[in-house]
Amino acid sequence: MTPTPSAESLLFPNLPYTVAKRSDVATRDVQLQQFVNHATLTKDIARKQLMPQVFGEHVDAVRTLAGDIKQHALDHLDYYLEQFISNAEAAGAKVHFAATDAQAREITIAIAKENQCKLCVKSKSMVTEEVHLLPALEAIGCETIETDLGEFILQLDHDAPSHIVTPMIHKDRTAVARAFVRELGAAYTEDAEALTRIAREHLRQKYREADLGICGGNFLVAETGSVVICTNEGNGRLCTSAPRVLVAMVGIEKIVPRLEHLGVLLKVLARSATAQPLTVYTHTMTGPRRAAEPDGPEQMHIILVDNGRTEALREETREMLRCIRCGACLNACPVYRKIGGHSYGAVYSGPIGAILTPVLKGLENYPDLPHASSLCGACYEACPVKINIPKFLVQLRAELVSRKLDKPADRLFMKLWARSLTTTATFRFGGWSQKWGFRLLAAFNASLEDGSDYAARGWLRSAPGPVAGWTQARDMPTPPARSFRHWWREHEKQGRTQSPNQPPH
Amino acid sequence: MPHHDTQPGEPRQAFFSRIHQALGRSTTAAPTEPAPAVDEKLVRLASADDDLVALFARRAREVGMFVELVTASAAAAQVKQLLDARGAKRLVCQPGQAGDAIGLRAALGEGYVFIEPDGQGLEPYYDTDAGISDVHAALAETGTLICCSGRSHPRGTSLVPPYHLALVRRSDILPDMIDYWARLKGIPGRDLPSSQAFITGPSKTADIEGILITGVHGPGRVDIVLIDDL
Repeated sequence: MTPTPSAESLLFPNLPYTVAKRSDVATRDVQLQQFVNHATLTKDIARKQLMPQVFGEHVDAVRTLAGDIKQHALDHLDYYLEQFISNAEAAGAKVHFAATDAQAREITIAIAKENQCKLCVKSKSMVTEEVHLLPALEAIGCETIETDLGEFILQLDHDAPSHIVTPMIHKDRTAVARAFVRELGAAYTEDAEALTRIAREHLRQKYREADLGICGGNFLVAETGSVVICTNEGNGRLCTSAPRVLVAMVGIEKIVPRLEHLGVLLKVLARSATAQPLTVYTHTMTGPRRAAEPDGPEQMHIILVDNGRTEALREETREMLRCIRCGACLNACPVYRKIGGHSYGAVYSGPIGAILTPVLKGLENYPDLPHASSLCGACYEACPVKINIPKFLVQLRAELVSRKLDKPADRLFMKLWARSLTTTATFRFGGWSQKWGFRLLAAFNASLEDGSDYAARGWLRSAPGPVAGWTQARDMPTPPARSFRHWWREHEKQGRTQSPNQPPH
Repeated sequence: MPHHDTQPGEPRQAFFSRIHQALGRSTTAAPTEPAPAVDEKLVRLASADDDLVALFARRAREVGMFVELVTASAAAAQVKQLLDARGAKRLVCQPGQAGDAIGLRAALGEGYVFIEPDGQGLEPYYDTDAGISDVHAALAETGTLICCSGRSHPRGTSLVPPYHLALVRRSDILPDMIDYWARLKGIPGRDLPSSQAFITGPSKTADIEGILITGVHGPGRVDIVLIDDL
């Protein structure tokens, strides 16, 4: 993508952030369009085929059940978190509380320092991305390696993830090949299998040496105090089994009451994400290694992260926190497919990002994000926990207006439009000024070299000012010479039995 | 938990007060309504009425594992044959009761190097060819192997060697994940193994242009010797 902003600024741009800046570039990037389109469409189609194949007529009821489970857990988050904490502590884990991203970093750093950790292997986790953990660990001299293949490549290439589940769908293998030559001194190859082997050998050595392992958590089980991670590569199991110190950093919304509830969510997670029955490794971890066990971490720390989640936990937005990060809404979204993940300017992209980011990081900081959607509803239909994303997009748009965060020009236009619809006189005046406005534009078009033909046929090729956005991508029809009101008057005069001619379209 | 100034992070009480505020109460309250019941009509995808051996074998193959159905008397020879076919010499051999039942260690005889866990961690397993394990359960519905950590069940066996060979007995197979959770019902977390790994296929990635590659970090090959009469 050109221009290339730093990895840092991709997910943590200067605020306030506007989507349009990056999406303009992204929509002109043919290669990006191809990669993202292919990857998301393939997964979207696979999910749509698999869900009814597995759950038959119950697909909708299963989504309702999964959503109800998460909603219940959120409605009683205090109760289930307390339960989780006492069970995790009874199993030997130490639980920490991070109100902010800074606290999440400080806690991790303190653990790393206390245990004199020099090398950290990390599995894929959105929340560690969100709290900006990696640079903080590197800053205290603890080398930190992303081990998920996609994230590893992004780290080597100073890039940032653009999809919740498949982080490097915006890159191709030549970029990987170049990064491996440059950063690992590997021989150039474009063979995906050979590239994977290079990464495997490199990372194996890191697992052997690492003294700190960091993972996120897909679920926290209240009744047992377990942390559950779902991965395909096995890096998650290695990061949580090889080093002597384990840190699981997890958002508070990941809680589920009981193992049977976990089971329901596992049944929809991988099927919605990648159309797999389960991820290859579903790893349920309950405390550090027991005395009799021959391997596993000696310490298990669990950092519970708020970082804006209690803001989203308010009744009006609580449903958003049901998200199990399957990425189905990204794959289903026609807007995400066009603009790619980096256009969302935050850790969480796609439709879920468009509603979650403004709540977690402030609507004033992401004022056009709720507009990065056509409200087609594909995201809602795809969501395995039935988050009504379009409803929240509209809710946030209303909040933009009520908090006067929308563009002044838009506000003025909407006001004038509303006013024009209130009385017959203003409506007629509106129609009249529109007609003459367009005639002026038509005259302007007729003066253009490539516009005159269009104008003659009643189309505008280009228009200035607020109409420019429309004519950038398509032509605009001029209003017909005779208005509907005009036709109606004639029609009434001549009587209804005999129509003068067809009404204007 | 007491909070000291030297300890980073937020005191538990303050952390919970924000949650209470968002939920519109001042202290933690037990739910007045029961947690949603898991309606098996909706989510049970296999039952005891199914041909569980056939279903498990089919699903396990679908996700890329190799399944060989044998009788107990032929199982040890089958394991040996598979190991030799894969050229596996250095073995992490922790096949538990299933291994004892088929007399595996004796049947393998000479010609292999057996790597024992050192009680320190995963280090012994890196330079090995195969890990041989039993399973704590297997799920027919998804073709899943469940491997839990324990005294004679290192995490590393099914994770570190490039090749995992699992012994699964007919009696290990549960129809659905629901049945596994039911088995754990009422066991407090502290009495659970520290690691319960649900394994559904060989290690996989599709991160590079969506091309499916096996064996990225975990075993690239998983063979199942499915023992029909145990």
